[in-house]
Amino acid sequence: MPGPDVFDAIASPVRRALLDVLADGARSVHDLAAPFDMSRPAVSQHLRVLRDAGLVTEERVGRERHYRLDARPLRVVADWTAHYERFWQRHARLLRDLLEEDG
Amino acid sequence: MASVEVDQFLAQPPERVWQALTDPAQLARWLMPNDFKPAIGHTFTFRTEPVPQHGFDGVVHCEVLALEPPRLMRFSWRSGILDTVVSWSLAPEGAGTRLLIRHDGFDDTDPGQRMVMGILGGGWRGHLIRQLGALLREERG
Repeated sequence: MPGPDVFDAIASPVRRALLDVLADGARSVHDLAAPFDMSRPAVSQHLRVLRDAGLVTEERVGRERHYRLDARPLRVVADWTAHYERFWQRHARLLRDLLEEDG
Repeated sequence: MASVEVDQFLAQPPERVWQALTDPAQLARWLMPNDFKPAIGHTFTFRTEPVPQHGFDGVVHCEVLALEPPRLMRFSWRSGILDTVVSWSLAPEGAGTRLLIRHDGFDDTDPGQRMVMGILGGGWRGHLIRQLGALLREERG
């Protein structure tokens, strides 16, 4: 079950940009940090948040850790339309009941 | 742009339904507690139980955008990462009313939402990569 961590994770523009990069394929911390003016510890800290949210997985490749995107937890965010369809159906029925009671 | 549409037949005429949609006390009974006022530009909130797993603190921030009694009301609906618009349209149907609820703007207003739709939709390429350096400098400063 995805937790609130998913929403915290994508609330940061930096982490969204990291996910954007990872969507093109797995990367090492070095690869993620190198093109930008960003220290490895700073990248690692953001990756930890993403990992805790279940959005990236970590694997050891030789002496490096590689990070890979796992988009599955994002489905909870994309599910808004289904959520709101049920919400409005439920409340439309409550409105009907209210009007029938009050006349 | 993804939207949700729900319609409901109500046995009462539009004038009566309009009351239930725009009187704060009646609105609270079928939807949520609120401080709504029927005036364009009025900002108000709906308050309900927080849903932490959806990143929702229980407050919906709204602004009245259109008000045409007894035919149409439109208001913005912002909660958590959502920035959307709700429209309620009323049309006479026999002795009653057809209420159409339309909730728009689920996938292209919020950066987080755009990202999610992009990744899940498979159309995701590193177009944000150029912005990363600038973002990082901003965050640090």
